[in-house]
Amino acid sequence: MRNRIMKLLLLAALSLAAVPGGAQEPKKEPEPLALKPGDMAPDFTLLQYDGKGVTPVSLRDFRGKKNVVLAFFVFAFTGG
Amino acid sequence: MKAFQANLPKLEGTDTQVLGVSIDSPFANHAFALENGVTFPILGDMDGTAIKAYGLEKVYTIGGVPIRSARRATFLIDKEGKIVTTQVDAEAVDPTKIIDACQIPATKAGT
Repeated sequence: MRNRIMKLLLLAALSLAAVPGGAQEPKKEPEPLALKPGDMAPDFTLLQYDGKGVTPVSLRDFRGKKNVVLAFFVFAFTGG
Repeated sequence: MKAFQANLPKLEGTDTQVLGVSIDSPFANHAFALENGVTFPILGDMDGTAIKAYGLEKVYTIGGVPIRSARRATFLIDKEGKIVTTQVDAEAVDPTKIIDACQIPATKAGT
């Protein structure tokens, strides 16, 4: 009886180890972005509040003037 | 956010404007900026327009509640509106790659 239980346990452990995507799987690369270097950056107009008033800011405002680092945050309080 | 703030003089020295975007309201973003000493604009994308345009929609579950927001991503865009380099997810938390890329064009730093 005990032997049979041990055998079953061993089988169970082996079948778990054989499942692809188990704990040994290397860390996944992030899913690639739809936009790639060389693509045109989609324009947008979003609002900024500076403590006095709300102003629209568009990507095209910087065309021919400045490079733009556009940083998307999950929420303002999150890291990075 | 703080990493960009710390490197702001370096970035502005190379004719680069930093813009943050989050799904929070412009008012929440302003409060955050005040509390954390962030001086670059943080734009409010409450209906997710820019987040969708950049293919970054993602649903997070916090305390069992699904919340629609964005993947963490940074884009360096040149003066012609073209994407130069990108960083996404965990990689985007450290903006060194983006900051270094800004130093490549002829810089006007310190002039």
